[in-house]
Amino acid sequence: MKAKPLSQDSGSRRYAYRVNKQENRKELKHVKIDEKSVESKTETLDLPKKKFYRQRAHSNPFSDHQLEYPLSPEEMDWSKLYPEFKDPTTGDMTKKVTVADIGCGFGGLMVDLSPEFPDDLILGMEIRVQVTNYVEDRIIALRNNNIESKRYQNINVLRANAMKFLPNFFTKGQLSKMFFCFPDPHFKQRKHKARIITNTLLSEYAYVLKEGGIVYTITDVEDLHNWMVKHLEEHPLFERLDRTWENGDKCVSIMLNATEEGKKVERKKGDKFVACFKRLPNPSDL
Amino acid sequence: MNVIHPFQAVVSNASGNQIYVVSKSTILAYKYDGKEYRLIGKWVDEVEGNHNHAPTESKNAKSPSQAKKMRSNGGKSSKKYTSDPLFPIITSQIRKLRLSSDESKLIACTDSDKSIIILRILLEGEYEDNCLKLTKRQPFPKRPNALTITDREKLIIADKFGDVYEMDAYKDDVQEIKEPILGHVSMLTDILFVRDLQGNKYIITSDRDEHIKISHYPQCYVVDKWLFGHKQFISSLCNPIWKSQWLFSAGGDECVFAWDWINGEKLAEFNYEKLIQPHLSAAHLASERFQNESNDIIEYAVSTIVSLHTLPFVAFFVEATNILIILEVCPNTGVLSLKETLELPYSIVSLSESHDELEVTCDNRSAGSDHFVEFITHNKQNNCFEIDTQRSDSFNRAVALTLKDEESVNVGSDDIYPLYNMISLKKHGEHYS
Repeated sequence: MKAKPLSQDSGSRRYAYRVNKQENRKELKHVKIDEKSVESKTETLDLPKKKFYRQRAHSNPFSDHQLEYPLSPEEMDWSKLYPEFKDPTTGDMTKKVTVADIGCGFGGLMVDLSPEFPDDLILGMEIRVQVTNYVEDRIIALRNNNIESKRYQNINVLRANAMKFLPNFFTKGQLSKMFFCFPDPHFKQRKHKARIITNTLLSEYAYVLKEGGIVYTITDVEDLHNWMVKHLEEHPLFERLDRTWENGDKCVSIMLNATEEGKKVERKKGDKFVACFKRLPNPSDL
Repeated sequence: MNVIHPFQAVVSNASGNQIYVVSKSTILAYKYDGKEYRLIGKWVDEVEGNHNHAPTESKNAKSPSQAKKMRSNGGKSSKKYTSDPLFPIITSQIRKLRLSSDESKLIACTDSDKSIIILRILLEGEYEDNCLKLTKRQPFPKRPNALTITDREKLIIADKFGDVYEMDAYKDDVQEIKEPILGHVSMLTDILFVRDLQGNKYIITSDRDEHIKISHYPQCYVVDKWLFGHKQFISSLCNPIWKSQWLFSAGGDECVFAWDWINGEKLAEFNYEKLIQPHLSAAHLASERFQNESNDIIEYAVSTIVSLHTLPFVAFFVEATNILIILEVCPNTGVLSLKETLELPYSIVSLSESHDELEVTCDNRSAGSDHFVEFITHNKQNNCFEIDTQRSDSFNRAVALTLKDEESVNVGSDDIYPLYNMISLKKHGEHYS
């Protein structure tokens, strides 16, 4: 057993904050907030503060975490994450998730993608509990504070190990875009299998991506960039998109400027390396 | 008291006149002339197990982070590795014994040095007194855990780290192991090479995280589908020759599953929970770490499931029980129903199938050199499975006689390798964060 994390010390401010937010989350996470129900309490929710959600930056993707995941994509109840997209008469979802932000961190990319792609459902997957909680609280607050405009209804986050359980969430060819923004570099040679881009995992990403779908990668670690490019270029189902394409794509510019990691690199005047790849059709001789 | 080490694996050739077994870290070959068995080959694995993964106290003391961990949990951290399936206690086990389709080679995984070994079987000429000759020992980066053989006699190896590699069974030189051909981010537990009705080839892999994945072969980078339904780890897969589009799987669930893997459909489940309940014992109590205060949490799992060659049956056993469960498979729907249960004299250690005959090895440590292997055949007259006592007795007599002075397989009764490891794959969600 590990030592009790700071967050479980009932005397700390962080603990008190987390308990309070958890109550909120329980109540608001899956509800469809409509104008009528809020008329009485018109308070705006404060956006969550990151300092209360600190967690070590790494998580072992091979570990047997206490994760919840559906038995299969058919068993996933998406209406809990995107209540505005549930058809009230049939109970079915009117849209499917088509954009996935793998390792979404604090959710900055999704928040910026949301208004640009109002007709797409965007899902962030994050393995760290507290970081996931932060994104949930952020989305609850954003939805609550934008009830009239119904903004931010198309984004949400799941605590998930995407490296293990991606096919439990998405069917073949369901996704049109996958983002890998500032992934854990896992510098040590023997940790390379823990990297989010490996030749074997790429086959699974290719499975959930539709033909012509795009893999976006960005990192401030040049070695990792070269690694990702090498593996994507070597994979028979991916083809790199050129600089002209990158310059004309709005996701690339959002990715460069939106994410927390991206902003941090900006502040430190570091480099950012971008590479985008298109999902090619399966070979015809299968 | 010394005993001949119980057999951890058995495989027979198609005609049933040659049988290969693993005892401790020795492979033995026997030949049957219709009356009695004769020892015709022996190969002893001399490579010692490496214990790199088991952290020593001194290592713990040196590493500040480890030392900190130890302080914070009362110094129990060195225990961590023993029950973690990624870091098991390494014995020099030989596992997953397989015969090549032309029966000229014996292939197995070794735990000691993470290798695949290939033994050539030579039944004539100068090799008459020992038919087994090691021709290749191919080391892998991680411990091989399952293997299959393709139609072109390539070996496909699945390891405990989740990667699958291809290697040549015919070239004797040790090859450089390159990139894996496919992989899971999970421990792989079984692997099959299969063909659909048009002759297209596929690899089916199962893992500790409930996944069965089907990939095209040789274009393994194209995933065909996953089969969803298991809620616990999968330990064993089999694909019947009489219905190549079907697949059976089992593991930590209380059900075994029948699938149409081509259409990606689950055909049937068979729940064996009630059937096995009376046969569970103290051996099935969960380990201390996952036990409750009243000490009554029971954990069990299917170790192996096999299908019969031409008959519509599958057979499986739950680890550390002496019950072999045989199910009848409806040839039209795939529905599974109980055919019969067979009680073996001792707990079953391993199960294999060869041309409608089942071979079972037993944990016979208290039997005084008897019941190493039981042969089970289907009696056509009364449509029942029964132990072929004549052959079993004949084989067990030969074993007792030929191995009583064989140093490599005689052990103290406390030195028997762990024979029931499958349940350690059960997930308990033990990692916080």
